[in-house]
Amino acid sequence: MRPAPAAALLFGLAAAALLARHTASVAALAVVLFVVCLRAPVSRRWPYLVGAVGSAVALFVLTPFVERLPGTVFWSGPTIPVVGTLDITSTELSGALFNACRLAAVSLAFSAYALWLDHDRLVQAAGFARRSVLAVALATRLMPALERDAAGLVEALRGRGVEPEGLRGRARLVSPLLAGSLERSLNLAEAMEARGFGRPGATRLPQPEWGVREPLALAGAVLAVLVGALWL
Amino acid sequence: MALARAEKLSFSYPGSSAPALRDVSTDLVPGQVTLVLGPSGSGKSTLLRAFAGLVPHFHGGVFSGRVEVAGLDTRRHGPARLAGTVATLFQDPEDQVVFTRVLNEVAFGLENVGTPAQEIEARALDALAWVGAEHLAGRLVTELSGGELQRVCLAATLALEPKLLLFDEPTSQLDPEAAESLVELALRLARDRGTAVLLSEQRPALPLEVCDRVLFLDRGRLAFDGPVGQAQAWLEEHHPLFVSAGGDVGVHHHQFGEVTSRLDAVSYAYEDHLLVLDRASLELRRGEVVALVGPNGSGKTTLAKLAAGLLEPLGGRVQRRGRATYLSQDPGRYVFHERADEEVAVGVDGDLAAASRALAAVGLSGYEDRHPRDLSSGERERLALAAVLAPEPDLLVLDEPTRGVDPERKHELAALLRANTARATLVVTHDRAFATAVADRIVSLEPDRELVHA
Repeated sequence: MRPAPAAALLFGLAAAALLARHTASVAALAVVLFVVCLRAPVSRRWPYLVGAVGSAVALFVLTPFVERLPGTVFWSGPTIPVVGTLDITSTELSGALFNACRLAAVSLAFSAYALWLDHDRLVQAAGFARRSVLAVALATRLMPALERDAAGLVEALRGRGVEPEGLRGRARLVSPLLAGSLERSLNLAEAMEARGFGRPGATRLPQPEWGVREPLALAGAVLAVLVGALWL
Repeated sequence: MALARAEKLSFSYPGSSAPALRDVSTDLVPGQVTLVLGPSGSGKSTLLRAFAGLVPHFHGGVFSGRVEVAGLDTRRHGPARLAGTVATLFQDPEDQVVFTRVLNEVAFGLENVGTPAQEIEARALDALAWVGAEHLAGRLVTELSGGELQRVCLAATLALEPKLLLFDEPTSQLDPEAAESLVELALRLARDRGTAVLLSEQRPALPLEVCDRVLFLDRGRLAFDGPVGQAQAWLEEHHPLFVSAGGDVGVHHHQFGEVTSRLDAVSYAYEDHLLVLDRASLELRRGEVVALVGPNGSGKTTLAKLAAGLLEPLGGRVQRRGRATYLSQDPGRYVFHERADEEVAVGVDGDLAAASRALAAVGLSGYEDRHPRDLSSGERERLALAAVLAPEPDLLVLDEPTRGVDPERKHELAALLRANTARATLVVTHDRAFATAVADRIVSLEPDRELVHA
């Protein structure tokens, strides 16, 4: 399938997850998107899945402690200044589950976009705002680039007999990773400018015609938003 | 008639007290290959960037004098406007790739300069064919080796059919055969298409055979500008290491100590399950310097990592005695701390005295409080070397330690490596001259994974 309708379909599913009111509906959308991501190669999918599922789990765990909603109290803990009494109620738990499913669905929609779409074609298909689409496509490649850089930094430490173990060991990678990304982005910007990026009158490599699946995907995107808003 | 001209060009980068270029005047003629030589940090890359309009438009800084390309004054016409007339191939191909598929990458410049849409694909494929990479058109750039990626980047510049082609150390990651074909291609472009080629190189032997003219930059000043015949004599007199095969760096030993590392019929495959090494064996002894050479993708780095203990073999056995350290290809990976001495001390439990000694050994005495990111590329390379020398390893493994290093610094590095007889040293390199100068033994890793000892 061409990337623009595929991106629209993923956007539609993410929007449906945000508009839906029932936890089961949102969870079902998240499961569908999770399965889509699972079909990507293991080496590429794990950072996205860990990020999406990890952040959803973290949201589910933390939300009941910071919310104060009535309901059946399952646990009551100490009183903390400013925050108040820590407790977990049935309403807080169901709200946390709903929001965690929403976050998971939206993150997994982005993961599917990053893992499955041909970003080159997406950029070339952009009839307008091509620069913005290119910026998004380059940003999408940040994750694998950071992963490669992190592996290189770990190797440079191990080559000196230092094993970066545990959270503290990994934390020392953050600063060089960020600085390295900035340096690389400057080099890339320079190379792009040298190749005429930003010059008026740019043309585009001709794109193949749409088939049957592309209009269907667009219709599916619209349908997902409508169903999400009205029935889910 | 000159295609491009620099007149009294001086330039300082923002925040830098020393000018990168001082009063440089030269011109570039269509159909000529001009080689620009000079020590690391002498202003070679800056001169190329000035002809591309990147200096001053992209970098900022203080610019004086005048640069003109095909009648366009670079002060008024920026790099995007000059693109198409000028094309630049940068040193590191990974830092210039925009798209994920090869054909799209080659087409990117053509799209930017407004090539008619119907012509783009044909011209991109033609350019790939020029560099012998038409079979890569549908591949992902992430699947390519360093050499293949460099060829794709070269195709992307050739597709623009520029009048002026700027090569910034394009062979630094290529094996000798690939480097030779790239230099021959530069010559072919100049002769067949009348392109003016400006080539910056740190392995000057081959380009000196084919170029028409040589520029030599020293601390930003143009120390020599003349035909290649005169350049040979001038270099022999003023910078002999630029024309010699590495120079004498001391007696090569023939009796070595105990074995510090033994690789016995080791095999290795990455995630794609393709065997990178198949039953390779190698023995390294104290006092011995071994150079590991071979074409791109032959498994040299993998073998080096196995020797250093960074990878575990899938088959065979690796035995090591004592401590091994490994110098990565990318000196930009030695940037965990904000001071050079603290960075070097990472491998010696924070022992700053040992770090200072290692910095002094690589000629960076007095650099202790400098931030590693503020160092030039050549200085970063030496800092990284100090970081792996500081632990005084029994086995020192260096992966491409001469990338971007000028011949005079290479000579110093060879002398430094040869001076220590207490450790075994394994050097992975594409630089045959350096390998000959530094090594007691050269081991060639061929594509069929056979080790050939010389």
